[in-house]
Order: sequence, then structure tokens, then C-alpha cells
Amino acid sequence: MARGGGNRSRLLLILLLVSSLFLITLDLRGVNLAGSIRSGVTTVFSPIEGFFSKIFSPIGNFTSDVRNFGRSKSRITELEKEVDLLKSEKVLDEDVVGQLNQLKQVLDLAGRGEYKVVAARVINRGSTATFKQTITIDAGSSDGISKNMTVISEAGLVGVVKSVTSNSSIVLLMSDPTFKIGVRIAGTQSIGVVSGQGGNKYLLQLLDATGEIKVGDNLVARGSQNGSPFVPGVPVGTVSSVQSNASSITQNADVEGASNLERIGVVAVVVSNPKQDPRDALVPKPSPTVTVYVTPSPSPSASK
Amino acid sequence: MSRIRVLNTSLFLLAVFVIQETIISRINFPINGFSLYLAALIVILSLEERSGALVFGFIGGLIMDISATAENPLGQWALALTIVGYLFSVNKESIGDFTDTPLMFLIFISVASALSLFIFVVLGAMLGQDNGSFSHIFSIIFANSLWTFLIMPLFLPLVIKVRRALMSNRERA
Repeated sequence: MARGGGNRSRLLLILLLVSSLFLITLDLRGVNLAGSIRSGVTTVFSPIEGFFSKIFSPIGNFTSDVRNFGRSKSRITELEKEVDLLKSEKVLDEDVVGQLNQLKQVLDLAGRGEYKVVAARVINRGSTATFKQTITIDAGSSDGISKNMTVISEAGLVGVVKSVTSNSSIVLLMSDPTFKIGVRIAGTQSIGVVSGQGGNKYLLQLLDATGEIKVGDNLVARGSQNGSPFVPGVPVGTVSSVQSNASSITQNADVEGASNLERIGVVAVVVSNPKQDPRDALVPKPSPTVTVYVTPSPSPSASK
Repeated sequence: MSRIRVLNTSLFLLAVFVIQETIISRINFPINGFSLYLAALIVILSLEERSGALVFGFIGGLIMDISATAENPLGQWALALTIVGYLFSVNKESIGDFTDTPLMFLIFISVASALSLFIFVVLGAMLGQDNGSFSHIFSIIFANSLWTFLIMPLFLPLVIKVRRALMSNRERA
């Protein structure tokens, strides 16, 4: 029996080995048996795999999640940094767009006044060496800028160039208490001097005792000889309140600056005088107001 | 060994193969994967009598050959596991010593899994297959043995019970 069983096992072994080798030979000789069987298996298995995939995908990822916990953590940190970077880039983009708009408006103002300007970005504010109210711009003598040139923004006067290096310039802001500029009330011949007060407010001293100041009057730079330090026609500010003092020889008024010096990013340095005084051409025109008249219709009376 | 038993065991192996392909293969084990199917087949081969080990080795190998992700020629796994089945059938008495204690049985299954993979790789090399570098092959075989040793305690009782359930009353006796 045992011998018979051994022979049968040997025969079975030979049969199975030959079958295996036959299958391998068929496959290697190009009979696409395996391909069609495997594609059939794939067809049958794919719905089952899809079903189990939905159920067991968290399990499948579990070991790799555990294994890559440190890596995942560092990846999260990396992604957070990227998000911060993108956010800062977005802020930068918005800043660039804002600066572009400012530049367009500055150039528009300079164009209307026929000023030849050099545009510059504000790269620093204030000074550690002095208490002066200054800004530093990224244009200097290599750009044709020299001392005592007028600096304007999209809305009007900013200040005057105080010192120049080859690549940068320091501008004394009109808000500085030592800053003074001769102005003219737009639309009149009344002249005065606007001086900085250290903040957003300026003081106007009207030199013409008979002149009249009203709230809302626009002030423009009178201009200096040869346009240095101030070119004529640049808007300086608007009268916000008039100080009435009978005993005073001059009339004083508080002035709100044309430029918001706290928000300037782009300025233009006027490098050459206009051929003619633009006079009041740069004074901002009040926007037209629309008045709507409504005629009430007669209300219907109750009939008895 | 009855035909019905061959059919039932083959269906059981097919079911384990489906579980392997659809669930176990999706788990990203460290180093490399674990084959529940191969381990279950080794358990069955080690517990079978001589001809049973040969037949189930061949059938089990054929089932592995039809795996959708396999790239080997059809019959290579069948040949490899038939050889394993033959080795088991020749050393039946020696294997019986290992199956007596669970820990030794686990070690035996792990080593046998590694041996099966090794035979498959050798056959592949003879057939001109490029299975990667030695270290790569070694890491696959080592990882499979390791995971088999660690995970099979969970499945071993179940596989033995199912195998027993598939036997006829006469075979059980």
C-alpha cells in the first residue's frame, strides 16, 4: 500500500510539475493564456476591490500614517509655511497693485502739471539720527535727483528732498515742524505760508490781511524761484477751519494736507520745472452731485 | 482525499486570495508586505498528507498565478508551490514535530513562506526575470517572514478550524 501510495504521489508530482512547466512554456511562447485569465480576474475583482477599498482605505493608510507620523508632521509644518508665504505674497501683490495705482495717479498729477518727474518708492520712514519727519526713497543722484527738489504724491505735496546719495534720497515731509511753504488760495491771489505742525494738521498764515479764507479753500504751492525747492501749482491742502482773531495782523487757518503722508508708498520727484505755471489746474475738482427732485403725487382721499 | 474536499479547499483558498488581494494588499506594511494567502496555504500544505500537499500546492500556486498584479508566467507559482508541497510531503514526519507547538508552528510557517518566495525567485531567475537587487529581494522575503510570524497568530487558529471543517468525517477520524 505504502509503495503504491508512493508511486501515486510520484506520478502526481510528475504530472503537476509537467503541468506547471507546460503552462510556463505556453506563456513564454506567447500564448496569451495568463493575460486573458488575469484580465478576467481583474474584471471580477474590480467591483469587490472597489467596495473594500472604500471600507478599508483608512486601515490601509493606518500603518503608513503611523510610520510617517513625523514626516507628516513636518509636511504639515512645511505646508503651513507655504500657506504663510502665499498669504504674504498675496499681501505683497495687493501692496504692489496699490503702489501701481499710486504711481499711475502720481504720474497723472505730474502730467497735468507738465512736471518732469522721477518716480520712486518709499523704502524707509523716519530717521534714527534726528527727530525730523522724513522718508527715504529709492532714487538718488544717479536718477537725476538733487537736493531741494519738490516731492509729490498722487494727491499733492509730500515734501522736499533734503539730502541725496547715488541710490537714495531723504525727503523732509511737509508735516515736519520746520517745514514751511508759500501757498496761494486757489482761485484767488491771496497768499500765505503753510507750516508743518508735526501731525496731519498744518497751519496757514495768510499774509494778505484783507484776504478772505473759507473752509474748503484749496491751497496750491506758489513756487520758488527757478522751481527750487518748490514748483508752482502743486496742491498743498484744504482749509479745514478758520481761526478768527481780531487782534491778529494775519489770518490763520487750520489746513488738512492734500497727501496722506502716513500711507504713501510711491512718490515722484519733480526734476524740472514746468514751462508755465499750471495755476489751479491741479486742484482737485469737486465731484458733481446729483440732485433728484421728487414731486409727491396727491394722496388719494377717502370717498364716502 | 475526496474531490469534494479538493473543491472546498480550493474555494477556501480562493476566498483567502480575494481577501489578500482586496484587503491585505492595501495595507502599507513597513519594509514590505504580508501574504496571508501564502501563510494560509503553507498551513494547509503542512497539515495535509503527501498527495494533498502536492495537489493543494499546485492549485494554490495556480490561484496565485492568476493574480491581476502578477507579471510572472502562468504556472511559475504553481511550479514553485508544487515543489514546496513535494518538500513537505517528503518531510512529513519532520514537519509534524513543528506543528505540535504553536510557536514552532509559527516559526515553521514563517520560514516556509520565505522558502516559497525564494524558490519562486530562483525559478524566475532561471526563466530570465529581473526581480531586482539581492537586497531588495532579501528585504521582501525577510519582511514577509517577519509579518507572517507577527500576524499569523491571529489567523492560524481560524485557518486550522476551517481546514478541519472542510474535511470529511472519515478524514477527521
